[in-house]
Amino acid sequence: MLLRKMLLWKIARHLGAIATLVLLGGLLSATLVRLAPGFDADERELDPSLNAESVRALRQSRAGEHNILSFYIGYLRGAIHGDLGTSHALGQPVQTLLRERWPVTVRVTGVGLLLAWLLASTLAFTACLWRRSAYEILGTTVSGAFLCIPAAVLALLSVILNAPGYLAIALIVFPKIYRYSRNLLAKAYSLPHITAARARGLGEVRILACHVLPVAGPQMIALAGITVSIALGASIPVESLCGLPGIGQLAWQAALSRDLPLLVNLTVLVTLVTLLANSGADVMIHMLRPRDA
Amino acid sequence: MIGRHAFLRLLLCFALLFLTLTSGSASAQSGGELRFCLRSEPKTFDPLLVDDDSSLSIRYLTGGVLVRVNRHTQELEPELAESWKVSQDGKQIAFKLRRGITFSDGSPFSSEDVAFTMQRLMDPALHSSTGDAFRSGSGAVSTKIIAPDQISIIFPAPLAGLERLFDQVAIMSAHSPKKEAAVLGPFLVAEYKAGSSVLLHRNPNYWKKDPQGRRLPYLDSIRLDIQSNRDVEMLRFKRGELDLINVIDSDYFDRLAASSPQLAHDAGASLDSDFMWFNQVASAPIPEYKRAWFRSTNFRRALSQAINREDLSRVVFNGHAQPAVGPVSPANKFWFNSKLKAEPYRPDAALQRLQADGFHLQNGSLLDKGGNAVEFSIVTNAGSKPRERMAVMVQEDLGKLGIKVNVVTLDFPSLIERISQKFNYEAAMLGFRNVDLDPNGQMNIWLSSAENHAWNPQQKSPGTAWEAEIDRLMRAQASTADPKKRKESFDRVQEIAAEQAPFIYLVNQNALSAVSSAVEGANPGILSPQTFWNAERLTLNPSTRASR
Repeated sequence: MLLRKMLLWKIARHLGAIATLVLLGGLLSATLVRLAPGFDADERELDPSLNAESVRALRQSRAGEHNILSFYIGYLRGAIHGDLGTSHALGQPVQTLLRERWPVTVRVTGVGLLLAWLLASTLAFTACLWRRSAYEILGTTVSGAFLCIPAAVLALLSVILNAPGYLAIALIVFPKIYRYSRNLLAKAYSLPHITAARARGLGEVRILACHVLPVAGPQMIALAGITVSIALGASIPVESLCGLPGIGQLAWQAALSRDLPLLVNLTVLVTLVTLLANSGADVMIHMLRPRDA
Repeated sequence: MIGRHAFLRLLLCFALLFLTLTSGSASAQSGGELRFCLRSEPKTFDPLLVDDDSSLSIRYLTGGVLVRVNRHTQELEPELAESWKVSQDGKQIAFKLRRGITFSDGSPFSSEDVAFTMQRLMDPALHSSTGDAFRSGSGAVSTKIIAPDQISIIFPAPLAGLERLFDQVAIMSAHSPKKEAAVLGPFLVAEYKAGSSVLLHRNPNYWKKDPQGRRLPYLDSIRLDIQSNRDVEMLRFKRGELDLINVIDSDYFDRLAASSPQLAHDAGASLDSDFMWFNQVASAPIPEYKRAWFRSTNFRRALSQAINREDLSRVVFNGHAQPAVGPVSPANKFWFNSKLKAEPYRPDAALQRLQADGFHLQNGSLLDKGGNAVEFSIVTNAGSKPRERMAVMVQEDLGKLGIKVNVVTLDFPSLIERISQKFNYEAAMLGFRNVDLDPNGQMNIWLSSAENHAWNPQQKSPGTAWEAEIDRLMRAQASTADPKKRKESFDRVQEIAAEQAPFIYLVNQNALSAVSSAVEGANPGILSPQTFWNAERLTLNPSTRASR
């Protein structure tokens, strides 16, 4: 009962923190966009076929965004009623844009993350099990190489090789997972009770399942939470270059055109997903932690 | 008997051959899906609100217009209107419409639709750039339906080049519940995947037929992939995934021409021009002595003479550009003032001009009469490799006169804010994408009171005598329907622009495009849309058609 109460309290604390951070993140994003150079400039102002009245109307259309606090309060009020505003750059309701584009990002980053985890954990586990220096050097070199290549270059390579976008995401995220999980596993394998277990002739699978994972598992789960935000970040260059119509591509377009309503919504959304992933990992660790009877 | 059999066999063979050939030629012309890229998301599908390139392309392919400027001959041709007549005072245009035409949804086309379109277009609350081009003076635009196939449109003041403006007006249905989805053009929007593609299908009710009586367009569909990255676009073109690239940079063009010369098309100088100008705004946050330089005609002319335009064309554009003469490209057959020539590269003459204004060289640096070193920055947009390279070459050319130039690249919103709102810049380099052949399209650039009078916008009264003269000439050409008088006025505007150099015109880029060998009937030109202006008559070769 006490444990359940503690879990509920932890979840409530996380939800409170998420709500606060999301609100602050949205406000911060709105403030940054508002202060960015070229905030209320519109490409159409240079269109010589527009007369002075139309140019004035164009400028006036963004007048409501000059006071950032009143904009943000208006935005929150609209969001409560299900109205997330209209994108300046694309001229469509933000809700529609997010609804259309979210599935692409979920698919690309989801499959990319899965592949990255598969690749990284396979390499890390086998490196720890085999303990061959050549294999370790190979793993470290491969992951190091991918770590050095900028995300945009990997995205461009996937375009040139006609490879799917999720592969680029996987290769961007994989080295980060590999290096961290490899260290965690190596640390766990070097613990004295595992050496003792090996000496007693316990099988590798049993050692892994019963002695290594309980030690490294919580940190791996925390890492999983963090990789969600890494993958979301990687989706911006990947989707933009590969022509994938997801949230990442939308974020890039919004940033280039200083599209305040769209950028605020995207920040809120990405903050929410990242915090949910991290908090989910935290709650899971809490649930899996062995306790005294 | 044998002879008769042989004759019959021969006849049969000829009949079979004839059938094969005719069916072959018919199938060679019809069907298939043409594919090319839009470089940005279309901002609207409303033909009256179009103001970006992607929406413009879609409007061109789907919209039916009363008259069309032939992109090849630059002449006006009848489309939905059989004929038209502009009144002598230039305030009224009467159209005789074709009969028996229907929108893509089956609703009939009549003068009511033209009236509806014009009323909506001229709604002041719409703020349509297409509509603004029709605003000749204060007062409303009215329409008078004379018959289902006859209509007059009356303007409050004379509007020169009136009939050509209708090339941009896609007629909307007054009664169709589908509104903008009901079209009169060769294609209709069948599917839009945000951020990914726009699929156009053949309009089954399109009115045009070819000389053999077959309905146009020949293509079944056009897939427009949204792709902003030009490297990816070229890669996909080379792979055969795309059939056209409407506008390509000279670097890509040369690479393509080296490997597949038959696919690369250089149609010669386009209407677009690249230029630079100096900030002359009184309230601009720049030192007074710099403003005095920028306001000096000698200073501007000298710098214009010190720029080697031939080198810009040769080095930056690999020869695929022409030294620019003025606001009108030589490609604009009617309006170009053929008496003018591009400013030749004469650094010695440039130095003499500067000395006439009190500038002098000291230890390799140019100083003004107050002893201030001549140094300024040129802002331009980041991401445009040719423009960045041009700025660097201008920097080098002016460096030879002892002028220190700093090149600053900014992203587009920041650049726009600086040049049109805060006026926080010294010199700027940009390009003008001219889609309108008529000088009326440049009114908001040349009138001193205009927003786009880049070097000193929104003047209450013209700041200089030559600006006042340009104002007068531009208004004069806009208020007469006589093409000869208009040409005389605008020729003089071009001369004043050359004498005063408020804009230092650099180059007119060539219209470079790529057309796959799968496409038949393409005839790339200099006017937008360069490669698909005759989309209704384009066909795909049989193998490509079969693979799609």
